[in-house]
Amino acid sequence: MPKRASIIGVGATKFGNVLETPELKNKTFQEILAEAAFEAMDDAGISPDEVDGFIVGNMLSHTSQIYSHSTSLADWLGLRFKGGFHFDTACSTTNTGLGIAWQMVMSGKHKNVLVVAGEFTSSAPKGINPLEREAIDASTLWEWTDFGVDHVYAYHHFYDVASAYGAFPTIGYMKKNNLSFEDMDRAMCAVNQSVRRHSAVNPKAILYEKGTLEDEAKREGFNSVEDYWQSVKNPFFAWPTRLFSALNVADGATAIIVSSEPEKYSRKTPVDIIGFHWTTSNFPWYGEDPTDFPQDKIAFEEAYKMAGIKPEVLDYLYVHDCMQIYQLILPEVAGYIPKGESWKYALNGEFLFNAKKPLNVSGGRHGAGHAFEASAGFETYEIVKQMRGEAEGRQIDPLPRIAAQHNHGYGMHTAVTIFQNGKNKL
Amino acid sequence: MEPIAKKWYDHLAEGKIMATKCKDCGAYTFPPLTVCRECRSRNLEWVEISGEAQLIMFSSTILPAKKFASLAPISYGLVKLKEGPCFFTKIEGVKCSNAEEIRKENESLPAPVRAEIKNVLGMNIVVFRK
Repeated sequence: MPKRASIIGVGATKFGNVLETPELKNKTFQEILAEAAFEAMDDAGISPDEVDGFIVGNMLSHTSQIYSHSTSLADWLGLRFKGGFHFDTACSTTNTGLGIAWQMVMSGKHKNVLVVAGEFTSSAPKGINPLEREAIDASTLWEWTDFGVDHVYAYHHFYDVASAYGAFPTIGYMKKNNLSFEDMDRAMCAVNQSVRRHSAVNPKAILYEKGTLEDEAKREGFNSVEDYWQSVKNPFFAWPTRLFSALNVADGATAIIVSSEPEKYSRKTPVDIIGFHWTTSNFPWYGEDPTDFPQDKIAFEEAYKMAGIKPEVLDYLYVHDCMQIYQLILPEVAGYIPKGESWKYALNGEFLFNAKKPLNVSGGRHGAGHAFEASAGFETYEIVKQMRGEAEGRQIDPLPRIAAQHNHGYGMHTAVTIFQNGKNKL
Repeated sequence: MEPIAKKWYDHLAEGKIMATKCKDCGAYTFPPLTVCRECRSRNLEWVEISGEAQLIMFSSTILPAKKFASLAPISYGLVKLKEGPCFFTKIEGVKCSNAEEIRKENESLPAPVRAEIKNVLGMNIVVFRK
């Protein structure tokens, strides 16, 4: 039986808006998935003929206009007659896909598995014409997205994701650590500065062209980032969470190739998947303490156990940051940062790629953008580039040996995967 | 298996707010599910809850769910029932028209609240009043 499951190729489209962004404009759902998949195959140096299984993620059928994804995509991906299926854990999908691919190749049944996903969040086909799309407003997007939460009870009791997933965990973090609102607001501004510092050097990020938060503050005519942060340009999404602390929705696709024989196909550094775990919970996700999602603690512990590591050996961590408060909460849950200390790390700039504890250096769901089921793949893409030394402009030095990736899938599925640099193992 | 969600909403129409109590571990599940949320047992009984709860925190979004957009601003809170479970719904009797009001109200929490049945857009649901 195979002894390893390694990532040998990654691909990602630009994250943007298919109605406007030059790299995406006029492309169909099938075409953006093919673009990401072909980049991954070229990166791995393999042909579609050598891919013997593929799994496809996509959440919003309202916008992709697809149900039977694998059959709709097989020919577009060059995978006719290969085995494929659609799978779905919402925004953690491509992270979950790594564990599925691990099991497919470690069973010996498959040698090379393609994990591919895509999402359109900004527009939907006009009528049923796939070539003519019209923009959708935020309220409609969230009505569709909220099918991901409990619709028997929660949604009809005035369900408010901005409060339940953003504001309450933020209030909980303030209370737990005796922080004033002003302290918390400064910390959240620092988190966003880090997010924007990273997206400003990631050409595939949705906010790449907009530069750093400092650049934007100047352009908007503010004397300081703090003034800009506290201005009407950044209202409370739900107090104490401001708009800039939330995700930016995006269109895009990502792809990953997992192989049981990495060195047969590629000379690039293989990235071994050495642990993973998934957990689920329906709403409510927490009790009196909104910073404590039991499912996250379990997922990290079990993934570490499978990998045979302790969190102290992590050189890099990505945590799902649809709301940036999770850049403070989850590093503490993961054991990457001591309890109650993340806010200080953020204020001191210690989450930057070139600092003590690099975190979310792609720009995350605000800076890189959130193309729901493709997003976790964007973070795996980042980890592979970082371990190979290919993350130009934001390269972690020395190259990470061990990394962890956490994603939430609305709501709420947790996927945690642990990666090891195949050429510089622990 | 009997319909559970319909039975719960039917009880609301009769003025009763129900939970299930686990005959094995004693935990309450609110609103009712097919199993005890704590120990997964199906050995459950339906009981009326006291309606007493603590409001832990609340806020209000500028992007309410589409169904409720016409009713904004909406105060949305996390409450802990006297019987144990936490629940999220609309909170009556708190001010939420601006950030300063929400901040001030939150500084006085936790505080007791009481459950009420309210018909909202054609559906009977449970809200809590401070």
